[in-house]
Amino acid sequence: MTSFDLVEPETLEDAFKWLGVDDSSVRPFGGGTALMLMMKAQLFTPVRLVSLRKLGRQFEGIERSSNDGSFRIGAMTTFSQLEHSPEIRAHLPVITQTMKTLANVRVRNVATVGGNLAHGDPHLDLPPVWMALDASATIVNSSGTRTIPVGDIFSGYYETTLEQGDLIAELRVPVRPGWRSRYIKVTTRAEHDWPALGIGLSLHAEGRVIKDLRIVLSAAIDKPTRLIGAENVLRGKEIDDALLKRAGEAAADETHIETDNRGSAPYKKHLLRVHIARAVSALVTE
Amino acid sequence: MDAVTASPNIGRSIPRLEANDKVTGRIEYIHHLRLPGMLYGKIFRSNVPHARIKSVDVSAAEAVEGVFQVVTIDDIRKVIPHPYYGPAFHDQPILADGKVRFAGEPVAVVLATDKRIAEQAAALIVAEYEDLPGVFDEVDAMTSQTLVHDELKPAATFPDLQHLKGRKGTNIALDYHLVRGDVEEGFAKADHVFEHVFRTQQVMHTPMEPFVSVADAQDGSVTLHTASQGPSFVRIEIARLLGLPENRVRVRVPHLGGGFGGKLYIKLEALVTALSMVARRPVKIALTMEEQFFMVTRHPCTFTIKSGVNKDGRIIARHCEVVWNGGAYADIGPRVTQKAGFTSAGPYDIENVLIDSYAVYTNRPPCGALRGFGAPQTAWAYECHTDMIAEALGLDKIEFRRMNILREGRPQASGTPMVDAAVEQAMDHTLDLMNWKLPFDRGSGKIRRGRGVAIGFKGITAPTTSVAIVNLYGDGSCALYIGTVDMGQGSDTVMAQIAAEVLNIDPAAIKIIHPDTDVTPYDMGTLGSRSTYHMGTAVRLAAEDAKAKIAALAAELGLPEGTNAPLAELLRRKYGMQAGNIIGTGSFIPDYQKPDTKTGQTIKGTPFWGVGASGAEVEVDTETGHFTITKLVNVADVGTAINPKMVLQQLSGAAIMQLGFTTTENMVFRDGQLTNGSLADYKIPNLLDMPREFINDYTQSRQKDGPFGAKGAGESTTIALSPAIGNAIADAIGLFLPDLPITPESIFRALQDANGTPLAGE
Ligand SMILES: Cc1cc2nc3c(=O)[nH]c(=O)nc-3n(C[C@H](O)[C@H](O)[C@H](O)COP(=O)(O)OP(=O)(O)OC[C@H]3O[C@@H](n4cnc5c(N)ncnc54)[C@H](O)[C@@H]3O)c2cc1C
Repeated sequence: MTSFDLVEPETLEDAFKWLGVDDSSVRPFGGGTALMLMMKAQLFTPVRLVSLRKLGRQFEGIERSSNDGSFRIGAMTTFSQLEHSPEIRAHLPVITQTMKTLANVRVRNVATVGGNLAHGDPHLDLPPVWMALDASATIVNSSGTRTIPVGDIFSGYYETTLEQGDLIAELRVPVRPGWRSRYIKVTTRAEHDWPALGIGLSLHAEGRVIKDLRIVLSAAIDKPTRLIGAENVLRGKEIDDALLKRAGEAAADETHIETDNRGSAPYKKHLLRVHIARAVSALVTE
Repeated sequence: MDAVTASPNIGRSIPRLEANDKVTGRIEYIHHLRLPGMLYGKIFRSNVPHARIKSVDVSAAEAVEGVFQVVTIDDIRKVIPHPYYGPAFHDQPILADGKVRFAGEPVAVVLATDKRIAEQAAALIVAEYEDLPGVFDEVDAMTSQTLVHDELKPAATFPDLQHLKGRKGTNIALDYHLVRGDVEEGFAKADHVFEHVFRTQQVMHTPMEPFVSVADAQDGSVTLHTASQGPSFVRIEIARLLGLPENRVRVRVPHLGGGFGGKLYIKLEALVTALSMVARRPVKIALTMEEQFFMVTRHPCTFTIKSGVNKDGRIIARHCEVVWNGGAYADIGPRVTQKAGFTSAGPYDIENVLIDSYAVYTNRPPCGALRGFGAPQTAWAYECHTDMIAEALGLDKIEFRRMNILREGRPQASGTPMVDAAVEQAMDHTLDLMNWKLPFDRGSGKIRRGRGVAIGFKGITAPTTSVAIVNLYGDGSCALYIGTVDMGQGSDTVMAQIAAEVLNIDPAAIKIIHPDTDVTPYDMGTLGSRSTYHMGTAVRLAAEDAKAKIAALAAELGLPEGTNAPLAELLRRKYGMQAGNIIGTGSFIPDYQKPDTKTGQTIKGTPFWGVGASGAEVEVDTETGHFTITKLVNVADVGTAINPKMVLQQLSGAAIMQLGFTTTENMVFRDGQLTNGSLADYKIPNLLDMPREFINDYTQSRQKDGPFGAKGAGESTTIALSPAIGNAIADAIGLFLPDLPITPESIFRALQDANGTPLAGE
């Protein structure tokens, strides 16, 4: 690791000035947990890191709207803040649940919501959860602001649609009455391994009939992806073993899963079938 | 369980002497060492597994500001004309010499005033290679035309390896054979013959303190500060390389952050010495966690085991063919091949035994000693095989073992009698702790439960020597000078307890002088469960020697025999002031008879037996293959537990390590390239992976010729653990898995194969 500049702008204007160069070795810095690993492995050699720590209100805080009850979560919110927020626990318990097996206390104390999304690593636990929750991200740059569904941030393996100078400022997460959510982290080696597959699942059921749902797969594929085919099999239907089996088949058919050290492609497809069926059935009867 | 003892120091769990300094961050590790003028070395490694080196372009690296020099083998040859080292073969070049033999082999080193500059510059080196065909699998290597070494160069340093020649024109570095009775005749007579093949994977030691060494070479002498488990060997080998007498080479070792057999023999020491001679400055190299995968690892192994069994369940013949994948350089692999070969028929009383054990070279990172020294790989085979036979013959698995177990006094396959080896007691104690007699819930539906037991043993490297000095100062305070390296196992504390017991002083008040070959006497190495027995005996003898000298001094001063006048008083009387020393010395080498090179027969092939038994209960989700170890029991025979708490820590540490080698750890290679060389992708177990119930204990036994009845404890619980888990899984799902590691996918695939619906390949 060689020396580099670390700047801590206090206004967005300054931040854009520091970031506004056509040089990928100038990057924003959230918690730095992902950046540090890349720097140690010499995969990334920064010239300048622009800390978002002092950018103030828009990048901070967990607030609930008094209108529709939705959450606004600043991009610099740490995982620990999410984990220990009573509001999140009450209205988005799936986030609290996911934190239990995400990294460790030291990482959670500094890793940020924004850095986690901008990193574009398909193995991360939270992106499929945000997607299942229908969250959207507000992105700011020197020429304006845009709000996009979280899923639209990811374009490939460690690739995002963010451009040089784009900053994720905040997330909006709706609270949807009647919906239940769950994250399934499937590890195949040590418990604390990166997932072989991650499944973010959210659904609205009446009795055993699924009114609506989101199924998002991560880790086994190049970017977190909604499994529309599987959703379509289940949407509006009353679940039974045969239907769950068909949903699993649809999920396995619509994804391109690669073999890696966590499992062969056929095995991971099998796990996908099993865990979708188990998770849907568990959530419906919860 | 506490040993029944009336002694004030033996069988007592006194706290570790260094505990306070460790938890307050004050203990010395070489990682913290900086010498004036010191340069940092960063290794540039090959990215191909087998190739001739066409060129190494270091110009861009040398141009980086702060770079002192970039060193290749050509520079090293100027200061060390024959730059090859190794404990068994002098086969390893200090830096790649014309050829590279594994992906990750050191090719050049950047020396710089700052380690980050060195790292940055190393990335600018460009090497060109002419690829050669590679050989990676041990079974292929037995017959392959691809030779890893064109010439084999035996070292002849150790008495137990002096017959080493290797087989010319092959990759076989050593073949070891043991012949007892007539195995073919045994098979012909047997009612049933069973043959199975088992495989284990490549894994590594993963000490939390990666390899680190500092050399400071002067004209005609060198000082090494190094994280080594074997300072005496380092001195001998460096002296040989440099053509210096031993007294010109000083090797200092403070505490280690783990070693597990990896930090034995020569690791970075030859390289930093050469670099310091080239640069004429002190040089430090500290590996990263990721680089450790290319230093030394554990042998993968393919074991074909064949047994002839009578219908009443007596095993009458066994043939073991064990092929050890030694990687590109032999390191101590030939001894692993020999020592683990020696016990590869298991702790069973078998009339006809034939063992063929082969160390082969391949184009993989080198393999050496790792906790258990091959015994865990062999036990994986012979203990799964035991259950498979019992299953096939419809015999009770425990009774089948009991019928064949090697009992006290009976000759083991080599002819060496079993003495002070609590094999059956360890099994029985395991069964008790498993509640084996109680009904067992086998699960239902998709969840299946099973349980299994295994036993195992190992021989100890022989013959080896330990020498100790007890020094009592003018005020009566005591220091112990020993070459044993405390790498977390607690040897400082145990040795102090032994000396304290003889001298009747407080062990916590004894100072341990850590290995410094200028000061501490010879010790063969901190390895293979040998220290408590060998060094412990040397310490006992040294303390007794000191005690005799104190008695002689009292007599000289005219005091009555058995006087309780304190030593300080005696010395003051003799010298007229607080002055002088009492120095006791002790040296120990156990009895040994060299095995016959053709038959492996010997009446004393091991100083003592390491013994372990394990039991496991598992729960398998048959729909996914996911499994949970709900209970794990490990029992060792450690003789007298000198410090019971530390013994239990050794037993649980060894067990957790072997648990990783059984279920999660695997160095995965593709075309000779390691694909998971970081801890993010090579998974050692952590707290979440611990069995729900985890019990470690030891038998009530005694090693009669050990210090106060003690023997080694560092490896015993590695031996039988894997097959206990494998047997438990087989009990749960009705299928035996021949390969380690056991993974959810391997279980699921086995189930699908058995159902006639095999899962597609990759
Ligand atoms: C030991 C360890 C264990 C881990 N275990 C897990 C685990 O179990 N599960 C899991 O999901 N993850 C795990 N992680 C990964 C962790 O979740 C990510 O490293 C973390 O979320 C990244 O957030 P950060 O704020 O530290 O990002 P940074 O390192 O600061 O940045 C990451 C990337 O995002 C960019 N960036 C940062 N903030 C913004 C922003 N607001 N707008 C635009 N771009 C931005 C940076 O330029 C950089 O490219 C682990 C990490 C470590 C170190």
